[in-house]
Amino acid sequence: MTLHSAVRALAGGLGIVAGLVGCAGVAAAVLVALGLPAESRAEDPPPAPAPVVQPRPTELVVALGLGDPVLQAGAVRDGEVVVARGLEVDLARELARRLSIPRVRFVYVRPGSRLLAATVRPWAVTIAAIRPTKAVASVADLSNPYLGTDQAVVLRRDLPPLSSLGDLRRKVTCALRGSDGARVVAGLPAPAARPLLVPSNDRLLELVQTGTCDAAVVSADGVGRLVAGKGGLLGPVSARIEYGGGYVVAVTRGGPVAVADVNRALGQLRADGTMHRLARRWLGIDPSHLRPLR
Amino acid sequence: MTAPTRNSIAMKYSAFLALAISSLAITGSAGAGVSVWFVADGKPVSVTRSGTTVERVVQQLLAGPTAAERSRGVRSAVPRATPLRSVRVSRRVATVDLGARFAAGRDERSLQDRAGQLVRTLRSVPGIVGVRVLVDGGVPVGLFPGYDFRGPVTAAIEPVEHQPTIHDYQQRLVDLGFMAPSGLTGTVDDQTSTAVLGFQKWANLPRDGVLGAGTMAALLRATRPEPLLRKPGRRIEVQLRRQLALLIDDNKVVRAVHISSGAYGKTPTGSFRVYRKERYSWSVPFKVWLPWASYFTGGVAFHEFGSVPTYAASHGCVRVNHYDAEMLFGFAETGTPVDVFDEAAL
Repeated sequence: MTLHSAVRALAGGLGIVAGLVGCAGVAAAVLVALGLPAESRAEDPPPAPAPVVQPRPTELVVALGLGDPVLQAGAVRDGEVVVARGLEVDLARELARRLSIPRVRFVYVRPGSRLLAATVRPWAVTIAAIRPTKAVASVADLSNPYLGTDQAVVLRRDLPPLSSLGDLRRKVTCALRGSDGARVVAGLPAPAARPLLVPSNDRLLELVQTGTCDAAVVSADGVGRLVAGKGGLLGPVSARIEYGGGYVVAVTRGGPVAVADVNRALGQLRADGTMHRLARRWLGIDPSHLRPLR
Repeated sequence: MTAPTRNSIAMKYSAFLALAISSLAITGSAGAGVSVWFVADGKPVSVTRSGTTVERVVQQLLAGPTAAERSRGVRSAVPRATPLRSVRVSRRVATVDLGARFAAGRDERSLQDRAGQLVRTLRSVPGIVGVRVLVDGGVPVGLFPGYDFRGPVTAAIEPVEHQPTIHDYQQRLVDLGFMAPSGLTGTVDDQTSTAVLGFQKWANLPRDGVLGAGTMAALLRATRPEPLLRKPGRRIEVQLRRQLALLIDDNKVVRAVHISSGAYGKTPTGSFRVYRKERYSWSVPFKVWLPWASYFTGGVAFHEFGSVPTYAASHGCVRVNHYDAEMLFGFAETGTPVDVFDEAAL
């Protein structure tokens, strides 16, 4: 084929294409005139948007306040927590696993009041022994409690376990002055003896050891550490008095994690025994496994 | 040259000298024979290591005590194989960056001890006045109880070893039921000795009434005496072997009282009830007044007596010491059950 003949063949081909395009245009006009499906008409409303699927976050950013060797402590470099440990740290890691988020990053927020008061929160959740008050609920979505703030009863040695609050009423009770435990013993109706309120935990344990006090009422999340190392000098941690509430996860509104998902994950952690394991590991006992006194 | 000028030169010279000395410390020269701190019996102890750099001192701390030191009970709270990332000294403050292993473990005492070891060791280096600790390059917050490493730490926490006072031991005797609160005097007196005798009887210790080391140690781990019989209500148990009367209310010992019963088994055993009470009772056979007398069988009564030895010494009555006689009289109302027994026979 010469160059000339090639050019002619190309010109002929283009003509066929142009003809086909022209025909298609005519056919389209006819189809519109005949009536096409409604959605393609210009005057109809725009198509409904497809549901927005939030991309699953690849990192759970958790704000910590640090400073409690049992709940959360760590080492901080440029605002990032490079070493983190404690019950709440382990809880955050377990939450991320249940939420299928592969990585957890901890950020340190100081002072602690900024954890919830900050207007811009570049973190998804805050875990810092938060109690669900109205003020807190107004600035963040709050999960179900992951750790109760109930009170526990430590009996003196050789006493049989309590079966009801009535049993406690018949005992000489004691508590740390100004504590929730003190409020509980003060609220016992018609106690057989006036409760003993003491200034220190050491004195509290002395009273139980020596039998001056039959039953100490102390914070359930701290009782394991309190009685550790006391061996056979005290009776068992025998019961729990429901005091209401607990520590909750504060979920940043509009963040990558929904509070419903956090609650679902917390439910799984409770159901599969993970929370029990974490509590035993960090608190010495799992307060939720103590029998409630009513 | 005028005097002020000479002073000015002297001041400049001494400032230069101070700068030179401080720069020696800044370079991290630890000099010969530095102290490296470990722990023995829960207390900080130092061992001497040969002269070296500050970095070398830290390395020696991380290496732990030698085998010979370990055999003497010297231990390190620093986890083995803790990596040293860096050491630098600036303005007499040593900053030590350690691997995360330094913060391993949950024992708060151990975490505090290891921070204390590091601070003490570096403060022993001449010229070092403060210590900063980093873990994996980060500032520890709450990792080492009692230490705030957000700034330089200048002193280690001294282990608080509360030495109980006489008042503390007296309080313990009161708490356990061996003494009335009126005995809280802060000095060892006759009332304290009487209470100590009661405790020694209960704890099967030598009965000398002396608040000695053995009795002190036993007091600190003692729990309240328990009745040997389980019966409801208010009652008294007289334990002849221990020579102790337990005043019991609903199976809780309210007070434990040092007594002396009848010699050669003259106090009858069995279950009785208080049937007669006399503020002063005249003993016809022995022609003596018996204060605070509570009779529970025949002519046998609890009563106060001047001599209450550590053994059974009476003619059959239960002698009660001066400090507890009135209290026991008040407790033993007419009708109160009294169980007298030899504990070994139960």
